[in-house]
Amino acid sequence: MALLPLLFLALSFFLPLWQVLSQGLKAEGRWTAARLAQLLSDPYVLHLLRFTLKQALLSSLFSLALGFPLGWLLARYDFPGKEAARAFTLVPFVLPPITVALGFILFFGNSGYLNRFLIGLFGLSSPPIKVLYSLWGIVLAHAFYNAPVFARFVSAAWEGLDPGLTEAARTLGARPFSVFLTVTLPQILPAILSAFALVFVFCFLSFAIPLALGGARYATLEVGVYLYARVYLDQGQAAALAILELVIALGLTYLYIRGGGIFTSRGQVGRPQATVKLFSRPRQLFWLPYLFLSVLVFLGPIGAVIADSFTRPWQGQGPTLAWYGMLFSPAQSPFIGGSPLASMALSLEVAGMTAFLALGLGILVCWALRRMRSVLLEALLMAPLAVSSVVLGLALLFAFRRPPLSALASGPWSIVLAHTLIVYPLVVRVIRPLWQGLDPALVEAARTLGAGGFLAFLTVELPLLSRGILVAGAFAFALSMGEMTAVAMLSRPGLVTIPLAIYHFLSARRFGAASAMATILILTTAGAVFLWEYMGRRLLRGQA
Amino acid sequence: MAKLEARGLTKRFGEVVAAQDVSFRVEEGELLALLGPSGCGKTTVLRMLAGLTPPDRGRVLIAGEDVTPLPPEARGVGLVFQNYALFPHLTVFGNVAYGLRFGRRLPRRERSRNVRKLLELVGLSGYERRRIHELSQGEAQRVALARALAPQPRVLLLDEPLSALDAALRVELRGELRELLKRLSITAVHVTHDQEEAMAIADRVGVMREGRLEQVDRPPELYERPRTPFVASFLGRANLWPGVIVSLSSGEALVEVAGVRIPAKGEAPAPGEEVYVFFRPEHVVIGEGPYEAEVRHAEFLGDRWQVHARFHRLPLLLFAHRALGGKVQFRFREPPRLLRR
Repeated sequence: MALLPLLFLALSFFLPLWQVLSQGLKAEGRWTAARLAQLLSDPYVLHLLRFTLKQALLSSLFSLALGFPLGWLLARYDFPGKEAARAFTLVPFVLPPITVALGFILFFGNSGYLNRFLIGLFGLSSPPIKVLYSLWGIVLAHAFYNAPVFARFVSAAWEGLDPGLTEAARTLGARPFSVFLTVTLPQILPAILSAFALVFVFCFLSFAIPLALGGARYATLEVGVYLYARVYLDQGQAAALAILELVIALGLTYLYIRGGGIFTSRGQVGRPQATVKLFSRPRQLFWLPYLFLSVLVFLGPIGAVIADSFTRPWQGQGPTLAWYGMLFSPAQSPFIGGSPLASMALSLEVAGMTAFLALGLGILVCWALRRMRSVLLEALLMAPLAVSSVVLGLALLFAFRRPPLSALASGPWSIVLAHTLIVYPLVVRVIRPLWQGLDPALVEAARTLGAGGFLAFLTVELPLLSRGILVAGAFAFALSMGEMTAVAMLSRPGLVTIPLAIYHFLSARRFGAASAMATILILTTAGAVFLWEYMGRRLLRGQA
Repeated sequence: MAKLEARGLTKRFGEVVAAQDVSFRVEEGELLALLGPSGCGKTTVLRMLAGLTPPDRGRVLIAGEDVTPLPPEARGVGLVFQNYALFPHLTVFGNVAYGLRFGRRLPRRERSRNVRKLLELVGLSGYERRRIHELSQGEAQRVALARALAPQPRVLLLDEPLSALDAALRVELRGELRELLKRLSITAVHVTHDQEEAMAIADRVGVMREGRLEQVDRPPELYERPRTPFVASFLGRANLWPGVIVSLSSGEALVEVAGVRIPAKGEAPAPGEEVYVFFRPEHVVIGEGPYEAEVRHAEFLGDRWQVHARFHRLPLLLFAHRALGGKVQFRFREPPRLLRR
C-alpha cells in the first residue's frame, strides 16, 4: 500500500523534477555544471538573488515588528473582539496573495484610498505616501501577510508560560519591564525564532506579491524563473535558475527543520496566564497608535478591495453592482482571454479535484508513514514540501509535453496535479498528529471484535479522523482556489483561474473587475474554511 | 483438552524480555488471573493470546486448535481493554453491536435483540442511545464487558478491567464480574497487578515476574505454599529470613538463621545450601516460646496491631491484639517453610 503514494509521486513529481534537472544540467547530451556556473556570473541573476534575500530578511523583520505586539495583545489582554482577532491570525492561510497585492495597490497606491484621503484632508498637490512599485511595497505587503504568523507563535508561546516564573521574578524585586526582558522574552524567543525561519522561507518563495507589486525590476528568484520560462521563453535558463532556487530553498528548509528541534518551545505548564483588561490603566493608551496602525494596515487593503468592487468605473454617485454583473455574464473579456464565468467555473473544478486528490494522497501517506517508520520513506513521501511552487510548475510544464503525462494535457490536469502536490503535505500535517493521537487500543478493540484491518480503519479510524479530514479538505480547497504561482507557470489560453484573472485585470488596470473577482475569491476561500469548520463541528458534535 | 493453552510464549522488545517461555492451560469455564507488578509482561502475554502482538516463539491453542498464525479477528477471543477503548464516535448500542455487525455480520434485527440482552445482563438496560462520554467509569466498564461478550467469544481476556475505577467501586464490581463470568461459564484470563483482586476473582492465579510465570495455583495454595520468595512476598505480608541448612531429617530441616537453629519443612536441598525461611505474620504466636524478638514500633490497623520487630538484626513482622514494646517471646504455630534462594 505504501507503494501507491510512492508510485503517484514518482510519476507526478520525481520524474518531472528529473526533467528540470536534466534541462538545466545537460548541454548537448552531456551532464555539465557550465550553465549553473554561467548563471552565477550573470549580473541579473546575482541581482535577483541579492534582492530575494534582502526582501525576505526585511519582510521577516517587518512582520515581526507588526506581529509581535498583536501576539502580546492576544496573550496578555482582554478586549472585545479578541476571539475575532485571534481568528484573524488564520488569514494568511486563506487569503490568496494576489488579493493582498490588489488590496495594497488600491489602498496604498499613489492614487489609492489612503493617498486620496490625505490629499483631500491636507489639500496636498501630490500623494504623500509612495511605497508601491518599490522594495518597500513588497516588504509592507509581506509584513501584512506574515505578521499574523508571528502573532500566532508569540501568543501561543506566551500563553503557555508558567505564570509562577514571572511572579517569582516580581517577588525577587524585578520591575515589570525587566521581568519581561529577563524572564518572559528568553522563554518566548524560541517561538519567535521558529516563526522568523518560517516567515523567511515564505517570503523567499513569495511569487504573486513581488510579481504584482514589483514587476521585472523588483523580481524575486521565484518570479525570475517564471519570467524566463513564460515571458522570455528560455527553458534552459529557467531550468538552471530553478535548480539554483531549489538548492537554496532546500538549504533553507533543512535549516528550518533542523532549527525546528532547537526552536520548539515547551508546552503548557501549570496555571494559565492571567489576562488584563485592555485600557484598564492609563499607561495602556500606548497601545492606541499600534491599534490604529494595525487597523490601517490589516483592514485597509481588504476594505479597499471590497469597496472598490462596488465603485462605479467612471465618475458617478452611489455603489454599483456593474462589476459583478460583468463577471457573471458569459461575455468574453479580452484581458483574460476568456469569460470570467469560465474562470470561476475552472477554479471551482480545480479546487474540488485538488481537495479530493490531496485528501486521498494525504491519507495514504499518513497511513504509510504510520505503518512503516523510516526516515527515507518520510523524506520521499514529503519531498514536494521542499520544492517551491514555481519549480514545481516548471517541472510539470516540462512533464506535460511528453509521455506519460502528455496524455492528460487537454484538461486542467496539470494545474490539479500541481495543486495536489503543493497542498497534500498540509493535509498530512493536519491529519497525521490526529491519527497518532488516536488510542491504538480502539483499532485493536475492533480487531478483537472480528473486524479485519481495513474494516477497522473504515469503521473506527476514519470516523474519528473525519473532523480533521473535513478541515484539511477545506484548507486544500481554499489554498487551491487562491494559488497563483503554479497556475501562472502552467496556464494557457482558456485555462485561466480566478487568481490569474485577477492578475490580468490588475495588469490591465481594470481595478473594478479585479476587485469584484477578488471579493468573490476571498468570500469563497474564507467561506470554505469557516463553513466546513462550522459544519464539521455541527455534524460531529459530542465526538472526540 | 484445555480450552486455552499457552505453550512457551516468548517475546522480546529489543533488549527487554517481556515474556520468557510462558506456558499455562485454562480449562473450560475456568477463570485464570495473571498477577504481577507493572512491567512484568502480563499484558504482553494477554496481547499474544489475543493476536495483537505476535510472539517470537511459542504457540497459542484455543480448544486444541493452533491459532498462533491467525489475526485477532479470526481467533474468537474477546478483550476488555484497560481503558476500555470504547469507540467515542458510536453510542452504547453501536459499541456493543460492533462485533455483531462487522465481525459476525448478523442481520440488524438479531443484532438489536442481542444487544438488548447483553445490556440487561450487565445491568445497563435502556442505555442504548447514550453516548460514551456520558457514561460513568463503572458504566463504561460494563459497556466494555458487554461489547467483548457480544460476539460470543470462545475465550474472554480482561486487561486490568477494574484498575480505572475508584477503590469502593472496584471491590463491588469485581464480585459482580466473577458472578457474571461464572453464570455464563466463560473461559477467561484476567490480568491484574492487584493481588487481592486476583485472589478474589480467579479460580487459579498465575504470578509473573520479569517475563516469567513463577507459579500457577489456586489462591489458598499460592498463599500458604508459595514456591519462590517473590510469590511469597508479592501475595500478602511475608517474613523471609536468609539461612543455611544444617541438617535434614524426615520431612524437616534444621536451618541456621542469624545464629539460631530453626526447624522448617518443605522441599529441602542438601545440607550447607543457602535458603530462605518463610512464614506469615499470622503464623507467629506471641507469649511463651523458644525465640525472642525486640519490638521497634507498632502500627494500629483498626482490627489489630502490626508490629515491626527485630530477631537478631533480621526484620520480623507480626500481628498482635495490643501495642507491644520491649522484648517478646514467640513461637511458630506451624514450622516455617523452606524456599530456595
